[in-house]
Amino acid sequence: MSAVAQEPAVVLDRIHKQFGDLVVVRDVSLTVARGEVVAIIGPSGSGKSTLLRCINLLERADSGRVEVVGRAVEPGAGVAGRDLAALRRSVGMVFQSFNLFPHMTVLRNVSLPQERVLGRSRAEADARSRQLLERVGLAAKADTYPSRCSGGQQQRVAIARALALDPEVMLFDEPTSALDPELGLEVLAVMRELAADGMTMVVVTHEIHFAADVADRVVVMADGAVLEEGTPEQVLRSPSTERARRFLSAVVDR
Amino acid sequence: MTGLLTSWGEWLPRLLEGLVTSVELTAASLLLGIPLGLVLALLSSSRTRAVRWAAIALVEIGRGTPALVMLQFVYYGLPSAGLSLTAFVSAVAALSLTTAGYTSEILRGGLQAVPAGETEAAGALGMSHRDTLRFVVVPQGVRIALPSLMGFAILIFQATSLTFTISVVELLSQAYSIGAATFRYLDVLVLAGLLYLAVTIPAGLLTNRTERRLSRHL
Ligand SMILES: Nc1ncnc2c1ncn2[C@@H]1O[C@H](COP(=O)(O)OP(=O)(O)O)[C@@H](O)[C@H]1O
Ligand SMILES: [Mg+2]
Repeated sequence: MSAVAQEPAVVLDRIHKQFGDLVVVRDVSLTVARGEVVAIIGPSGSGKSTLLRCINLLERADSGRVEVVGRAVEPGAGVAGRDLAALRRSVGMVFQSFNLFPHMTVLRNVSLPQERVLGRSRAEADARSRQLLERVGLAAKADTYPSRCSGGQQQRVAIARALALDPEVMLFDEPTSALDPELGLEVLAVMRELAADGMTMVVVTHEIHFAADVADRVVVMADGAVLEEGTPEQVLRSPSTERARRFLSAVVDR
Repeated sequence: MTGLLTSWGEWLPRLLEGLVTSVELTAASLLLGIPLGLVLALLSSSRTRAVRWAAIALVEIGRGTPALVMLQFVYYGLPSAGLSLTAFVSAVAALSLTTAGYTSEILRGGLQAVPAGETEAAGALGMSHRDTLRFVVVPQGVRIALPSLMGFAILIFQATSLTFTISVVELLSQAYSIGAATFRYLDVLVLAGLLYLAVTIPAGLLTNRTERRLSRHL
């Protein structure tokens, strides 16, 4: 927390999102400081993914304001192509289902977006990709296809692919939920390092240990609203609401 | 029996010449029709309504019109609109339209089979819609559609026999003119049939193999 700079990395201001009549996110506000790691936990269906996806405009909030590193948009009033591109460029995202491109090698998966989005040459992009693959422990996998990699390896490639665009904020949507526990650990290890290096991260997760050890702040969501938020000690040890207490005892006992 | 074989030997060069024309027709129709089919498949999910409707209309015309009618229309119909084409060019034009109509549906199925998560990931990475189609969706969609496209190619090869009705000198038309000269229709048609099979059977086996290989990979 001490290294956190003053200007926030992400500001969500009264975000409201509904699908048809179903209100999924109700007027949620959340500020993430630079370098901060925020873990979002809560029962499934509580709107965690939707809130996260509102940050990089994979979902367009019906009302409210989204601000990323100083650039603000109001998705409900329409988003200019230029703003969308700038926003996507500064935010990386890692999905539960990895979403690698299966017809490309690991190296191409990491290099292609750099070439297309940042205009890097093939050589520059490949050099950066190899460096990042090294960092996530997968230098040896560069020339294989995703289907030849374990889930944990695929997820680490997905992290490298997002990092290759030099994002200022990384979003993680249950990055280990599709993995066996031991493969999940490899991914969590990479995320811990990333956090230690000062990356701003918003992580939707069921990994209470990760939230306790790595997050600066834990946010508990239920029914589309923030139920509780604070340091991991506050929230995980002594939740103030009955609802949060019930949810936490269910996940901690698991 | 030897009499039949001798006759077949005599007819074979002309029939092979016709077969080459049939194969050329097929190749030209596929080379023009499949890219057009791909364009129509992409446009039929365009966000602009007029574009989407125009594409869907073309696809329905291409698919809904029997190939024989399409051939007659292009060859006999277009000249009255001031556009006359040679028989071969008419045949290519008509069969390309039919190919475009059918393959756009096949390709649309392939494109839709590409997981939405990948498109979403590409968007989250900041890739443009166009780049996402070009590098992520189209290459995989075409690969998924490949066995069906190969199956369709065999059908269009068989459909080239219809072009004899607009006097393209392909395999069937060569067989007919030999039949007309010798009155041995059955004998020559059997040989022509064998030549069609000599193409369609290996092509069918290749299609099955491709299908198995791709399903193993995915
Ligand atoms: N694209 C969508 N269309 C309709 N309903 C959706 C869509 N995405 C999410 N929902 C619904 O919104 C609610 C919250 O979903 P989600 O944000 O995925 O919750 P969580 O990530 O906390 O499990 C769920 O009831 C889900 O069914
Ligand atoms: Mg979710």
